[in-house]
Amino acid sequence: MKLRRPKYLVETPSSAMNDIAFILIVFFLVCASVEPEDGRSQMIPRSEKNEAQQDSQSIEVGLTTATVIIDGTPYRLNEFQPHIQQMLAQKKTEAERVVVVKSQTDVPYEHWIAMTEIIERAGGIITLLLEEEQTINLN
Amino acid sequence: MAMGDIAFLLLIFIVLLARARDESHLVWQPAIGTELVKPANHNASVVIDKQNVTYLNGRPVQVESLAAELEALLGDLPAGGRTVLFKVHKDVIAEFFEPAIEAVSDAGGELHHVLEPAPNPSTVP
Repeated sequence: MKLRRPKYLVETPSSAMNDIAFILIVFFLVCASVEPEDGRSQMIPRSEKNEAQQDSQSIEVGLTTATVIIDGTPYRLNEFQPHIQQMLAQKKTEAERVVVVKSQTDVPYEHWIAMTEIIERAGGIITLLLEEEQTINLN
Repeated sequence: MAMGDIAFLLLIFIVLLARARDESHLVWQPAIGTELVKPANHNASVVIDKQNVTYLNGRPVQVESLAAELEALLGDLPAGGRTVLFKVHKDVIAEFFEPAIEAVSDAGGELHHVLEPAPNPSTVP
């Protein structure tokens, strides 16, 4: 008896292989190129502008790992937000709302981001005050 | 048939070129932030990894020369098109990240801190 192959069992056309490979590569490319980009934009004026702005009545915030110092007065971390909001609410002009942030060298980035976020939400304009290294030769 | 091979080779070429700017080998963990937004575009990426090493577009760079290199990259691009992605490991201290921020600012870059959204309180055990 001779068995006949049904008509619906046909070989896959090999010409489709290129298209499948192409689509797979595009899929892997798209998956591989996804890198995190979500975040927060921050405008920090250039150094020379900072110096000009610091001459005005700006607020100075000192950051340490455990406390925040506002114009020389230390506050606990949980006290910082209401105080800075209250101070910035009284400021009218842009120059007055400049907040000079001076961090201790051991302040971690995560803490710095959290504190500057509080300042910016309260309407402050961040500028940085960095300690400069100076070499003094002693005779 | 030849068209498929050409497309395949072109894709491999593009993949190899893309790997030159790849930063996947850099180890850093983003800090937590809220109300995060995606930048419309970006022209450069600065990474400070777990070891406090600074990278510009995936290439190690000295912080002292970062401003000059960024200036060269950003050129005369108009405001709004000078975004610099800033990816810093969450535990890096101010001694390392503040000079980099100053360099971006000096180069006229628009800083965009890449952060991680705060975990949903309902999913925290």
